[in-house]
Amino acid sequence: MRAWLLLLGGMLVWAVHFFLLYALASLWGSAAPARIGTGLVTAACLAANAGILLLCVRTAKTHDAETVIGWPARLGAPVAALSLVSVAWQGLPALLV
Amino acid sequence: MSSAPIAAGGKGSPGARSETGFDPELYRRFPTKEERPEGELAELERVWQAPRGWRLLTAVNNNYIGTFYVGAAFLFFLLAGILALVMRVQLALPLQGVLPQETYNQFFTMHGTVMMFLFAVPAVEALGVLLLPQMLAARDLPFPRLSAYAFWAYLVGGLCFFASLFFGLAPNGGWFMYPPLTSTAFSPGINADFWLLGIGFIEISAIAGAIEIIVGVLKTRAPGMTLARMPIFAWAMLVFAGMIIIAFPAVIFGTLALELERALNWPFFDPTRGGDPLLWQHLFWFFGHPEVYIIFLPAAGLVSMMVSSLAKTPLVGYRLIVLALVATGFISFGVWAHHMFAVGMPRLSIGFFSAASMAVSVPAGIQVFSWIATLSTGKPSHNVPTLFVVGGLVIFVMGGLTGVMVAMVPFDWQAHDSYFIVAHLHYVLIGGMVFPLFATFYFWAPMMSRRPLSERLGKWVFWLMFAGMHLTFLPMHLTGLMGMPRRVWTYLPERDWEITNLLSTAGAFVLGAGILLFLVDIARNFRFTTGDTAGNVYGGGTLEWLPNGLYAARSIPVVTSRDPLWDQPGISEDVEEGRYFLPGTATGHRETLITSPLNAEPQFLQIMPGPSVWPLFSAIFTAGFFLLLTVQAYTIGVVSGVLAILCVLRWLWETDRVVEPARVDIGAGIQVPTYVTGGSTHGWWAMVVLLIVILMIFLMALFSYLYLYGIHGRVWVSPPATFWLAPVLAGYGGATGLALLARRLLARETSTLWSPATNLIFAAGTLALGWAVDLHSWRASGLSPESSGQGATVYGLVAHQGMVVFVALLYAVYIAARNSRGLVSRPRNTSFDLATMFIAYCGVQGSVGALVVRLFPGVV
Amino acid sequence: MTVAVEGLSGWPPPVLDPAGPYAGSVTALTWVLIGMAVAVLLIVLAALYIALFGKGELRRRLGGEKVIWILGIAFPTVVLTGLLVWGLTLTRHLSAPAAEGTALKMRVSGEMWWWRVDYLDEAGSTLMADANELHIPVGRTVEIELVSPDVVHSFWVPQLSGKLDMVPGRRNLIRIQADRPGTYAGQCAEYCGGPHALMGFMVIAHEPAEWARWLARRRAPPAAPTDAQAQRGGQLFLAAGCGACHRIAGTPANGLAGPDLTYVGARRTLGAGILPNHRGTMMGWIGDSQAIKPGNRMPPYRVLSAEQLEAIAVYLEGRR
Repeated sequence: MRAWLLLLGGMLVWAVHFFLLYALASLWGSAAPARIGTGLVTAACLAANAGILLLCVRTAKTHDAETVIGWPARLGAPVAALSLVSVAWQGLPALLV
Repeated sequence: MSSAPIAAGGKGSPGARSETGFDPELYRRFPTKEERPEGELAELERVWQAPRGWRLLTAVNNNYIGTFYVGAAFLFFLLAGILALVMRVQLALPLQGVLPQETYNQFFTMHGTVMMFLFAVPAVEALGVLLLPQMLAARDLPFPRLSAYAFWAYLVGGLCFFASLFFGLAPNGGWFMYPPLTSTAFSPGINADFWLLGIGFIEISAIAGAIEIIVGVLKTRAPGMTLARMPIFAWAMLVFAGMIIIAFPAVIFGTLALELERALNWPFFDPTRGGDPLLWQHLFWFFGHPEVYIIFLPAAGLVSMMVSSLAKTPLVGYRLIVLALVATGFISFGVWAHHMFAVGMPRLSIGFFSAASMAVSVPAGIQVFSWIATLSTGKPSHNVPTLFVVGGLVIFVMGGLTGVMVAMVPFDWQAHDSYFIVAHLHYVLIGGMVFPLFATFYFWAPMMSRRPLSERLGKWVFWLMFAGMHLTFLPMHLTGLMGMPRRVWTYLPERDWEITNLLSTAGAFVLGAGILLFLVDIARNFRFTTGDTAGNVYGGGTLEWLPNGLYAARSIPVVTSRDPLWDQPGISEDVEEGRYFLPGTATGHRETLITSPLNAEPQFLQIMPGPSVWPLFSAIFTAGFFLLLTVQAYTIGVVSGVLAILCVLRWLWETDRVVEPARVDIGAGIQVPTYVTGGSTHGWWAMVVLLIVILMIFLMALFSYLYLYGIHGRVWVSPPATFWLAPVLAGYGGATGLALLARRLLARETSTLWSPATNLIFAAGTLALGWAVDLHSWRASGLSPESSGQGATVYGLVAHQGMVVFVALLYAVYIAARNSRGLVSRPRNTSFDLATMFIAYCGVQGSVGALVVRLFPGVV
Repeated sequence: MTVAVEGLSGWPPPVLDPAGPYAGSVTALTWVLIGMAVAVLLIVLAALYIALFGKGELRRRLGGEKVIWILGIAFPTVVLTGLLVWGLTLTRHLSAPAAEGTALKMRVSGEMWWWRVDYLDEAGSTLMADANELHIPVGRTVEIELVSPDVVHSFWVPQLSGKLDMVPGRRNLIRIQADRPGTYAGQCAEYCGGPHALMGFMVIAHEPAEWARWLARRRAPPAAPTDAQAQRGGQLFLAAGCGACHRIAGTPANGLAGPDLTYVGARRTLGAGILPNHRGTMMGWIGDSQAIKPGNRMPPYRVLSAEQLEAIAVYLEGRR
């Protein structure tokens, strides 16, 4: 379980972020509550991603790639990084659109 | 020698090198030194022998089913391609009369539908069935009969669906089937029903395939093949299957809803009665866009493997490729609404759908540059597979770049539904899937043919296809910018669209000539065999190039590298001589080794079924059921449905048997059990996956309910009085409780008549009772399914629950029957476990559904 | 068809030949995107060439994980961030409403397989009804309500703006503007069954003063026919039951199922943007429109003689 969470953590955060944004825009369209909500959710998800990234990097330092969680952590780090970029992009519309 | 696996490093402890407690040191016993007993190989061959003559139809082994499957998918590719050629003739010049308008509309609908549903998805699934077991060194996929069933249902259903074209009954609403155009008001004929039918088959076979592939990849890898050593294709198929179980439920629910609207007048999509046409678009594209990646990812996985083999060097950036596959699997679920930029969504939503559409192109870029880096590192050979891989890469990159263009909302508002999009999607799909598929044909044909395909012909095939492809689709970008919309059966001469259209038509025939030449190559050189194959012509490094029989590798090797054939000297010979795991048959049955999901440590021996007529009959009657309903022959349709269920039960009856001995030596004195229960079994994993599918369908129904409330909430009526909740929840909750109790009782029970199985029937009965009250309370409240979107979605949820309740009842009776025949083992039994799990889930799902539609928006 | 329909040309490509601000900014974006796509394609092709045929140092440097990080991750991230910011800003710009009271308001309803056009006043009630043609003043934003009573259609005049769907049960707003007089072709862009291919329309932009005169004249119906043949045509029109589906203001014909024919003689095209409008095509259309546009909702009138058809055509020709 821990291995899967390290591996997929970044993408799970992405999924939570995306579907929360979808819900917000469905409820309030492009109005202020949706924008503020988008900003808050984005900030929270960026923080979560950064946390997962850090955890993966630390795990990778202490566990070699042959251990059960070692390789998943090495994969989880770039996954979280990519999720970070994607979440940031998806937050942009709150400011720009 | 010691028998039980020895614990190493402590299970789950930090720095643990073992996932299950299996000591990796035991792998050092291989390859074994001692002589193999005489007759061991002969016995293995006897057990795995294929049926002959007409009985070949009963074969379930992946070599046969996989080959049939690939062949059938390719047949549909040819058929849909012929439709495209006729359409290109019609469009070559303005106001042509080759195809009448109605026929053209049927042709383009069928072209899209057949290519997407009957060719692309089944083709990649077929390659999974064909290649995965060999790549993982498993004897077969974990549920061979399920593969056989999925294949036959697909073939029979697909052919009947295609035949509707010859009777003028083919669907004509586009492969996306937008209501209200496809509702009975505007499509009164049964054409649209044929579409829903055709999709029904592919839903069944896709879900079945996904279950097979998830369990296969996670549970049947060769020992030592950790996640980090899995062939990229296995990763791709794992993501592919995961995406299917999330995406297909959306279209399953969508098609059910549309058929309910058409047949019973439930207004899911009718805006005059509280439905919404855009609900369909959300459901369809939530499936439809991931679908594109469902097609692309397996092909990309194959390209990753071929690039490495063809360049004779390990894949550069293996970890990044896995990252790309996983990320695509997720992010592709955030892009569906880019098919809907022009429907008038809030611009904030448009904004983040646009952002996600860009984000999904990053993983594609990673893969492209990883392939280029791999080619640069090694010594790429200049042969036909390389040509197709490189050509496909160029085409795919071009499609990807126009993809970035249309992810830009303002540009998409111009390009959307114009020929620019036709060009874009064909570049992506042909470059991302068709060319890799042809590379695959050339690359892997020697694995199952006596002769490889021809290099000389292959080069002609490639250049014709490559040139034809560009000549067809490159001008279409311009045609689109010149204002030509998609899905038009003709155009006016004044529009200046003749020249580019004529070029496209010419190109289509060049492309077609290439494919025709490929058929010649197949006819001349492809000779199916499972024994004396042409072998590893291109020098691949993964396990499918081990010496192979119907049983895959003679013995199942210990894997210590991503490219074992390159890095583990002597592995082929050792495998062939039976010096690894399971060199013969341990129980006298077909069997394969089940390993753990992360590190692939041996867990137990799975007994596999052999040839059977039942999957074939089940499939035929399933197809009959849907077809007969479509042509409105209800009585015999239902008879056919009942027969299908009986055939499935008959086939299940033979499964889940305890065999002797209880523990067997799988090589080098390592012993594993032959019958286990609980979370490590392949059956448990399959049931979990199936429940996720059912849950997703449920969530889609719930989403539809909330979505329509958001749009038409003001006209909604109050739910039944809250007191109804008491009996409903008691029924559902009681069912869950009784089911779990039954499982606890089983461990103590010795009698075969009264007892846990009866308790299970009580559980299912309680479930049915809860459901009946649920249904009754809504009927008594006066809300009818035809009255409004609220009615349609509420009864949609109730109907979905009713369906699982029906299965639960059937399941309980089936378990009771097994119990009375002494087939339910004590203290635990897999079939029994799975039944309790299913019924317990049904209770929970029913409770959640009942609560939501009563408390929201009524009370909350 | 020998007579070309005015304004139906496809060259230069209308998406790249904008006639107003709502299309113009997208054209600029389109050129940049095309430039980006070509540049990236050239980079990939060059890398591929080196990977396959290159030698020495350059090829070696292409062969590591670093190249994936630089070209496959960092480079696209930077380029896409830039594009995304531009795209989002432009989206906001394009969907901003026009300043209060400045826009001309219209409503276009996509129907199987033609366009119902209403000119609205500030309050949103109909000033004047027409079909398959929009007349707009140059230099002024036109805000169009898009609706559909049947299936999903899509409104697209590439030289004036991107497209927007007409979804049953919903009301979408699109803004167009033409900065030079001219005729701009439009076509339904969402598959709507049957003769979807033959569902065109035109936007005709006039100088503001000319447009004002035009609108003033259109508020009243054209004069009743004076010559005998046209009068007979008018009687035949009613006798044949055309009025059940078509409206001609000032006559008993008041059907609303089909296009309003009050000013049909002034239209550029017949059959929703597919035939040039003259006596011959009008006769052919009435006699057997099914042969021209299969599946359209107008039944063929083969019972009418050529002489009768001509009379009706002459009558309708005069509705201008």
